Amino acid sequence: MSILTDIITSPEAEVRNRSLDAFCRLATLGELQIECTALDTLRRTSDNLYERVRACFFLYAIYRFHMPTKAGVQAAGLLPFEGYTHLLSRRFEESIAVFQADIGNTPTDALCSALAAAYHRLAFQTLADQVRRSVRSVRGNQWMFRVGHPADQPLRLRPELLRQYPTPGTNVLSYPILFETTPVRMDLSHSGWSDIFFLGMDFPEGARVLNVSIDLGVRGRDAKPRPPVEAYLRVIDEPLLRLASIDLGATADITDLAEVFDFARDYMGLLKGALIASGIVPPGSEGSGASLAELLARLVGPGRGLELVSNVNGIPKGSRLAVSTNLLAALIAVCMRATGQAASLIGQLTEPERRLVAARAILGEWLAGSGGGWQDSGGVWPGIKLIRGELTAEGDPEYGVSRGRLLPSHRVLGADEVTTTTRERLQQSLVLVHGGMAQNVGPILEMVTEKYLLRSEAEWQARKIAIGVLDEVLAALRDGDIGWIGAATTRNFFGPIQTIIPWASNHYTETLIEETRAAFGEDFWGFWMLGGMAGGGMGFIFEPSRKTEAQDFLQKLMSTTRQRMEHAVPFAMEPVVYDFAINENGTFAHLLYGEQALLPPGYYALVAPAMLRADPRVLPLQRRAELDRFGAACRTRPEFAGMVQTLFDRLLPRAQRDEASGQTLEALLAENGFDRVQHEQIRADLRRGRIGLAQNRLPASTEIRDVEQGDVADATHTLPESVRAVGAQALAAGEVAVVSLAGGVGSRWTQGAGIVKALNPFARFGGRHRSFVEVHLAKSRRVGQAAGSPIPHIFTTSYLTHGPMMLALADALDTNGRPYGYAGPLLLSPGRSIGLRMVPMARDLRFAWEETPQQILDVQAQKVRESLHTALIGWAQSAGEGNDYSDNLPQQCLHPVGHWYEVANLLRNGVLADLLEQQPQLRYLMLHNIDTLGADVDAGLLGQHIESGACLTYEVVSRRIDDRGGGLARVDGGLRLLEGLAMPREEEEFRLSYYNTLTTWIDIDGLLEVFGLTRTDLRNDEPVSQAIRVLAARIPT
Amino acid sequence: MRVTRAVITAAGRSQHALPLQRVVDRDGVPKSILQIIVEEALRAGVEEICVVVAPDDGPAYGAAAGELASRLRFIEQEEPRGYGHAVLCARAFVGDAPFLHLVGDHLYLSGTARGCAQQLVEVAQAESCAVSAVQPTRESLLPYYGVVGGRRVSGRADLYAIERVREKPTPTAAEQDLIVPGLRAGHYLCFFGMHVLTPLVMDILEHQLTMAGNASIALTPALDALAGRERYLALANLGRRYDVGAKYGLLTAQLALALDGNERDEVLAQLVELLALRR
Repeated sequence: MSILTDIITSPEAEVRNRSLDAFCRLATLGELQIECTALDTLRRTSDNLYERVRACFFLYAIYRFHMPTKAGVQAAGLLPFEGYTHLLSRRFEESIAVFQADIGNTPTDALCSALAAAYHRLAFQTLADQVRRSVRSVRGNQWMFRVGHPADQPLRLRPELLRQYPTPGTNVLSYPILFETTPVRMDLSHSGWSDIFFLGMDFPEGARVLNVSIDLGVRGRDAKPRPPVEAYLRVIDEPLLRLASIDLGATADITDLAEVFDFARDYMGLLKGALIASGIVPPGSEGSGASLAELLARLVGPGRGLELVSNVNGIPKGSRLAVSTNLLAALIAVCMRATGQAASLIGQLTEPERRLVAARAILGEWLAGSGGGWQDSGGVWPGIKLIRGELTAEGDPEYGVSRGRLLPSHRVLGADEVTTTTRERLQQSLVLVHGGMAQNVGPILEMVTEKYLLRSEAEWQARKIAIGVLDEVLAALRDGDIGWIGAATTRNFFGPIQTIIPWASNHYTETLIEETRAAFGEDFWGFWMLGGMAGGGMGFIFEPSRKTEAQDFLQKLMSTTRQRMEHAVPFAMEPVVYDFAINENGTFAHLLYGEQALLPPGYYALVAPAMLRADPRVLPLQRRAELDRFGAACRTRPEFAGMVQTLFDRLLPRAQRDEASGQTLEALLAENGFDRVQHEQIRADLRRGRIGLAQNRLPASTEIRDVEQGDVADATHTLPESVRAVGAQALAAGEVAVVSLAGGVGSRWTQGAGIVKALNPFARFGGRHRSFVEVHLAKSRRVGQAAGSPIPHIFTTSYLTHGPMMLALADALDTNGRPYGYAGPLLLSPGRSIGLRMVPMARDLRFAWEETPQQILDVQAQKVRESLHTALIGWAQSAGEGNDYSDNLPQQCLHPVGHWYEVANLLRNGVLADLLEQQPQLRYLMLHNIDTLGADVDAGLLGQHIESGACLTYEVVSRRIDDRGGGLARVDGGLRLLEGLAMPREEEEFRLSYYNTLTTWIDIDGLLEVFGLTRTDLRNDEPVSQAIRVLAARIPT
Repeated sequence: MRVTRAVITAAGRSQHALPLQRVVDRDGVPKSILQIIVEEALRAGVEEICVVVAPDDGPAYGAAAGELASRLRFIEQEEPRGYGHAVLCARAFVGDAPFLHLVGDHLYLSGTARGCAQQLVEVAQAESCAVSAVQPTRESLLPYYGVVGGRRVSGRADLYAIERVREKPTPTAAEQDLIVPGLRAGHYLCFFGMHVLTPLVMDILEHQLTMAGNASIALTPALDALAGRERYLALANLGRRYDVGAKYGLLTAQLALALDGNERDEVLAQLVELLALRR
């Protein structure tokens, strides 16, 4: 029997929890191949979900990390296009079959990467499918999938919501408002991410969290903490669904059933998810073509509809306090109460009702294409509770499929376990903050899942320690020892959490901890990370007498640290300190009627301007009466104070200014040398179809072939000593400089947060977080020291990065006044061009989404994406294709103009001329992307470049499945680096063995010759500009 | 156990005129709904019948019962305090004996020679316990009925042991509490408007009335309590019921009676003529 399948299927926990790495390290290629065959058979034949999934993860890890390192695996190889297209279309089985047929007996690095990707996605797909199946088969949820026609709708609105009450001072009757408030939750121990659904189902014994429901207030803004999440529901006298998200500033009237299922059309995804998951618009009615008015008539009565409103009291999403999930839960709870699915219309929910709300929140998140952990809906429950995974039992939908149930159990800790005094002490000691960092925890959760299911050694040990930390925190709570909690959570953060995921921490967080410790010494009892990663929601625990001082200190510290790091670390918001209180109610509802039947002030700020603009005579009676109530409230209720000013501002909008710089768009363009003439030319070409995505393609008759013998020099093995000697000699003679491209803001990388990528302290080296700039300089320093001649290092910058780079280098001076102690010349090459964004052409959007192969997403996420695409095409058409994009902050309307100009800039801005003057022996440049960590001034590669006599040498790598976007090819016989979008046919790319890293060795004089320039011309602007224009015209756009 | 008494409730303030409506019965004879219900009870072997009516409705009901009036006893429900209270009004009439209970606004067709109530009483007498008639019903109709949850009695296709009873549950609650193994997905056992109940129900109702203060009481919670205290069965598939109080209920009931009776062909011919005229 195979050793690895034995690990997976063994009933013994000790065998089952053995690590894959330990076996693979010692195995030969042949042994691994035999194991892969056995694992693939197991994953195909086993009935048990977890055996199948673990087999997939094992196969992924073997192909991704272990097999490519074994002797006998070829570095270069091609990928079958057919397998790739199966992968894009989520036909994982088919793609695995194609790749396996190709891999035969001689595995290549490329095919290993392809199989790894296919198994990885298959594993996650299998897990996601199971969560979906389980949540659909939870009793109480199943019926919703059977209801396909309005006549089948078995729900009825509770009569209390249909009874109308008089508005004082008028004779108009109005419907009451059902108002749900829900706390958010914090995780008192950090669960070691054990609340990921998959992990709870795999190892329920290890899935435990201590979860506290809390009210929040922003310190300095709110008088006292209150439940941060609110949902409102009322009947309206129109046969439609009126949705309003006060937190997102959006409203929508929905009259068509299909629109309810169209999640990305507007900002109402969460509200729509709640309507569906609560059965008001049953999921079974999707695509039925039924009438929404008929459905509502059945539910609420003929001619009537519902209004659903969400509100978050100024607490940001991404706070790691599960705001979104609890908001969804609040919306679902209010809908369930309104339709009698909860016994009590007002007050708390019962335990079975809470569980159902939690199950439906999972369903709603899946429908809206998002997702969280199983403790996230903890705000629905009151106080402090222990949530833990449960082993499956007969009768469960998961029985025989996974070890654990989808939904955990909640045990609310009573005053006998955690006394009132302890609860108060916790509130008096803990300073809860949002550090303001933008975060994307998705990849972290994926990594955790992978590491746990693979039982990677260090991570698995760390997980066991993290489980022990929870017991410690529980004991500390029983003893009322808050200091002990601080010690335990700090140990957890610096120990197991970072062992499992080093990226859970970051430079910003550690700076805050370090400085807090320095300021408060023994009175700083500990740090505690909330949720997936640090930098957002965090807790700092102090000796109670110093809490107020600590709150002030942290507010100031976070603000100044943020200002210092704002160009290096992605921030989404200004850091805040919260006031918080433990909420002992959980989700709770009230009924507001008569003059109290008002929605929150933010709602009226959204809808009142339109009502005020309208002729009062055309407003429905109820709306007019509501305006009356609102007017009265503005005069009498403190929370409505200031509404007049707000409405005035809304009615008379002001011009947008860049908040950071205070500049208008026009001023920014002028300052950065925007070329209006060229811009208009591009616009005209774009609108007339002379340029566009489709035009980038080479003609279909173009012959594209893989490279030939001699086109690529193999540098994967040690190069001959004579070649290295040539390089070493050039280095010693000071003939080489490095150019790092640092004009980018990593907008894809930070999901739009926009920072100077080069300055991001992305990983810990030698005990602290360091930026790309520091890492590349360290490499140049090492090479320079070895060669005995410092290497000049140039960072190219853009209008977005130049200022911050200057500041960062000035900040990093050593005692000799050298940035990062760098001995060689260190120069910045500022950008000289800027572009203004245009509204895209609908045909280009269609081309990008419909005519090029796209990764198909999970079925629901795909629906959401398609709806988003339709919405964006609609936006482009309504905003005017090819128009200037100016409906945003001015900085966001600009864009840098591309890599090619970075080299041209070096010539134009005089940086190269200065360097050549300073170091006339300089002959070569090594140019690379800032995040190509493998780029190195290697003597061998340099020697190879010099010996070849080429003007440009590109470092290419053998292609792996993720290396998309072109490659090295013979195009109609000529050697060329071809962009992906230029390929006449998609499959051509898969016939190319090599992928460009963009790390380029440049012969300076050769390059100048291409421009038609000499070294002496560089001091003269006119010929340089002319040469650049001439060459630019030859570059494909 | 022998069932000799029946209680018909017709005191609902909004529906008290329904039993007075007249239809043509299976034999082609015009009768009031009340008469047909009383005949149903008599066919089941019942000897004494009491009708719970709203104040002052007795004479009208007496007239509507025609020649059967002499066999009826009318009890007035003084205050409208709910369905449970209406049943409780017959406590003295029932005494310590089990009784058949029918609602005054439903008609039943068994499709066999034996009436629905007759079959129900036979089962109750054979099993010596309370039995409610039920009908597997689609979940979309849950807002209209009381629903029972339980399990099938071994060896019987139509008999169920009731474990809990809920009034007009949401499908969410029904799916969690009221699924009966063996029924089609999305179907539940809903009340048929016909029960044989034991005197314990009266004790439970009395207790509930005391606890309720001035509020109304329903029958369903009492039946739920009954299920917890003694053997209580549900008998399915007795035939069809027709709610006269529903929209077009009287019309549907009349058609059902006619199409089940001696004048079926004549009524069918008239229906066909109507259909042919339809534009």
